Amino acid sequence: MAMSNLNVAINADKVMRGYKDASSSMKMTLINSSGDTSIRTMKMQILEKPDGDKSLMTFLTPRDVKGTKFLSYEHINKDDDQWLYLPALKRVKRIASRNKSGSFMGSEFSYEDLASFNMKKYNYSGDAKIEKLDGKDVYIALRTPKSKNSGYSKQVTYIDTKSFLVQKVEYYDTKKRLLKVSTFDDYIKIDGVWRVGKISMKNVQNDKGTILVWSDQKIKTGLKDKDFHKRVLKR
Amino acid sequence: MRYILICFIFFTTLVAEGLEVDASFGLISDFFPNVKKGKNSNSFTTNQELEFTYTKDDFKAYTKLYAQEAYYDLVEDESKHTDRTFARVDEAYLEYESDNFKVEGGKAIKFWGALEAKNISDVFNAREFRNKPSDNEKLGSYFLEYDYYTDDGTLSLIAKLYEDKQYMAGQAYQFYFLPSFISYDSELKSDNSLFYPTFYLKYSASTQWENALDYSLILQHGYDSQRYFLPDDFSTLEQGLPTTFNEHTYLVNKIISYNTMLVDNTLYKLEALYTDVIDSKYISNYMHLGLGFEYTFNNIFNLDSNLGLIGEYYYYTTFEDNKFTDLQLFEIYQNDLFLGVRYSFNDTDDSNIVAGVIADVEYGEEVYSFKYETRFFDSLKFKTAYSYIKPSKNTQTAYNLLGETQTLTFDLKYYF
Repeated sequence: MAMSNLNVAINADKVMRGYKDASSSMKMTLINSSGDTSIRTMKMQILEKPDGDKSLMTFLTPRDVKGTKFLSYEHINKDDDQWLYLPALKRVKRIASRNKSGSFMGSEFSYEDLASFNMKKYNYSGDAKIEKLDGKDVYIALRTPKSKNSGYSKQVTYIDTKSFLVQKVEYYDTKKRLLKVSTFDDYIKIDGVWRVGKISMKNVQNDKGTILVWSDQKIKTGLKDKDFHKRVLKR
Repeated sequence: MRYILICFIFFTTLVAEGLEVDASFGLISDFFPNVKKGKNSNSFTTNQELEFTYTKDDFKAYTKLYAQEAYYDLVEDESKHTDRTFARVDEAYLEYESDNFKVEGGKAIKFWGALEAKNISDVFNAREFRNKPSDNEKLGSYFLEYDYYTDDGTLSLIAKLYEDKQYMAGQAYQFYFLPSFISYDSELKSDNSLFYPTFYLKYSASTQWENALDYSLILQHGYDSQRYFLPDDFSTLEQGLPTTFNEHTYLVNKIISYNTMLVDNTLYKLEALYTDVIDSKYISNYMHLGLGFEYTFNNIFNLDSNLGLIGEYYYYTTFEDNKFTDLQLFEIYQNDLFLGVRYSFNDTDDSNIVAGVIADVEYGEEVYSFKYETRFFDSLKFKTAYSYIKPSKNTQTAYNLLGETQTLTFDLKYYF
């Protein structure tokens, strides 16, 4: 049955939201064009908010950046608020967040990729198509970023018609060429809410890749706004 | 008493379960191509850092130790000794945090500031002058602090319990800037006890306006972070005979502010302070101001790299005649312009280049610097840097005393 791109996005958003807050460990594997890998680990905390989530990332490795923290307040209609804490200097620095397409920690994920799960950040028009992906029926839904500072002209999402879980996303650069493809795996349901366990990002233009794997995922742990105040960066 | 406190905090962290230990070992080689007669033309040091962190619920204990060994302190020829071999307890503090307040005490290093070249509002800690000035190292200070959390910010009452002396390297080290007939005695002198506490009342917050603003306001009473030097005998100094300089401190009331505002994609920064001197016949009331901006171009050359442009201006002035001026106080950032670039490769090794020039508009001095850093094998950090100081020809500034100086640095640090 045909469904509009907007309704596909609303349903996909519905199955992933309602976690209130989440904490997890994240392993980031960076893969260069020769296949060499490099690993980063960090702790993540997220507070779900109707007008944009708050998130706090604490870097654990490499050792020289251990304790570096990245705090972000996502906003729908303006630039995000972002701060970086540098433990060696004990310094909190505000980050200009207009650069949404910049690489996050040298990975193939941009800041925009990590902060853009909120469906309100996109425009939707027309109906989604249904096709097969790895034997499953999926909606192929189109979304275009609202922000004029986005690094993408459009994104094509592949969403399971039964579960409404995102299976794959294609990212097109501002010249409308395919730039990156991400695949979503290892979903787990915690307390009635789906959480993704692994995202693999492949940059088709430079042949580099990045794999994010989450572990020790918890939701509804009781985190509050005060746990995401700027002062927690120095804690 | 201070040592008992440090030992208590150190052993609290050490015996606790769930203790986190981090360490590093560093090798630094500096070369000074146009060194003055009587100074070493290079410097080789090793250093070790050890951090202990214990966190349980709302309680935290933290200790950071630092040790450094300089090659020339080991050679037989005492004229080459640099007095740069030492061990420091940089930090050792206990902290308890509740829902809306935090109390902490011990020894700590704090950072207050917004600008890049010089943080004039970073006044809490004394400085380490046994290493390069560009290292901007600070000494831990004994303190007690109470923080009260408001909805938007933090109100802090901080007492610094002791005024620390500042050590300087020996005369054979390139960055010992005083003339060779002047010895430096690190004893800190004051008309008052060095245990006279310095109080800081600080409020920091962020606004959620269209143009985001992070601001901090500090009221201070106690010892000033600016110090001055006096010879123990003025007559020997006038005759150019060997003499000894001591560092002196004095009491002030001070107001300090540092702020960052984001407008579109540009960060605007302001640091400012006004100091009302209470009890010194040598030091005038003064103000210090720093203004700056930082703009970052992204995805340079169609790569993931970023290029940040930084511009800053500093101005310092005193308000009373017949007292020390910026020259006697060796204040470098008195009428200076800083222009810099930061190129981030955004690669897996966090490689970046920082380069810049500080130009003294009044005395015609220039300092050029270049630094490249990257990481190898996830645990080795490598930095190389070059700097060139072109001092004033006619005015006796700190750089004029130091002389024209080139420094080439290779710094390797292993984290484990």
